[in-house]
Amino acid sequence: MTSPISIKVTINGRATSHHVPPRMILAEFLRDQLGLTGTKISCEIQVCGACTVLVDGKPISSCTYLAADIDGREVMTIEGVAEGDSLHPIQQAFVDHNALQCGFCTPGFVMATLALLAENQNPTEDDVAHYLEGNICRCTGYRPIIKAVIDAADRMGTS
Amino acid sequence: MSVLPAFDLDRPVSLSEALSLISEEAVPYNGGTELLLAMRAGFLRPDRLVDLKRIPELKRIEVADDQVIIGGGATHDEASGHDGIRATLPVLAETLSKLGNPRVRAAGTLGGNLCFAEPKSDVATVLMALDASVRLLGGSPDGTTTRDVPVAEFIVGPYTTTRTSAEILSQIRIPVDTQSRMTYMKYQTMERPTVGVAVSKSPNRTVAVIGAIGPIPEVFQAATLDDLDPETIAAALDVIEDLTGADDYKRHIAALLIARAIEKVAAG
Repeated sequence: MTSPISIKVTINGRATSHHVPPRMILAEFLRDQLGLTGTKISCEIQVCGACTVLVDGKPISSCTYLAADIDGREVMTIEGVAEGDSLHPIQQAFVDHNALQCGFCTPGFVMATLALLAENQNPTEDDVAHYLEGNICRCTGYRPIIKAVIDAADRMGTS
Repeated sequence: MSVLPAFDLDRPVSLSEALSLISEEAVPYNGGTELLLAMRAGFLRPDRLVDLKRIPELKRIEVADDQVIIGGGATHDEASGHDGIRATLPVLAETLSKLGNPRVRAAGTLGGNLCFAEPKSDVATVLMALDASVRLLGGSPDGTTTRDVPVAEFIVGPYTTTRTSAEILSQIRIPVDTQSRMTYMKYQTMERPTVGVAVSKSPNRTVAVIGAIGPIPEVFQAATLDDLDPETIAAALDVIEDLTGADDYKRHIAALLIARAIEKVAAG
């Protein structure tokens, strides 16, 4: 039996503390311990981006990240993006541009887009394509997603 | 979701503490972008992980006129976003800003990348072209040992380096020559490059380093750029066939990229 690690963390704006086994993966912690099932698990090798969450504002693959490593940090998941019932401009742009079909990859795309637009408020289509290279969508195709991201950047710039 | 094998986690806050903890069964751990995957796949099963992320020295980046020192624990993002590195070693900064994906760049470290010695690493290829060395610190009953090893000698095979299980890669040390010119070009259709080519020319050193195509990056040194023949180099490479291509295809792509890289460096 290995010793649990105690962590203090802020998740979607709420401070909380937990004990986690060292081997517990962040995605497992979010989904199974906290019930935040918006974060999806797919490839488990850090390639597809479905499990993307932000840790201190940076995108990480929660499938390949120890829950113990969020100690002292701020985590944001897809559940923390909307303000009550109003969708975030990125989410609204994805809806308006039909940038999803089955929606399984969408939480990861939205989190990655948040990170991109925090770094670069006016990305070109090439910037978006480059940044989202590590997020895989298997049904929509990438054109509507890129349009949604560019539109979201416009909306956020003018709001 | 698949579960990692059980292990204990140490979180030292100083290098000396970390050195006293690591062993064959207690391995250094940083971003985990490679290690956790290898553990999940069952290739590695350490008893303990020794987390190096709380050690400030390993994050330090120093830029001087003649040398850049990057702490082994600096992430790809931290290094590529550093103003001094962008100004002094633009090709390295550009390479780090384009490797893997944003999640790997945010979590993965240069030291971890080198110690893992993934054959398709862009980092090792570029650092070899820059004539970089790594500093390895080891713990011993008499104190700490230090040795500097050129990256080209550090990586000896796929996933194999000369680091011992008692050592931590504390620094990457890169000489700066303001007269040198360099480029890195890669061809990539999937998550990792098919081939990566770095060409560097300075008054006393001209090299082409070809990575991702074989077990480890290969260094070809010549007196001048004109002496680097793309076809000869491509024919001499040790090529591993995989999903990114067959032997003849990869040599063809390598020769094309080598020629373009030489042309670019020659043009200044």
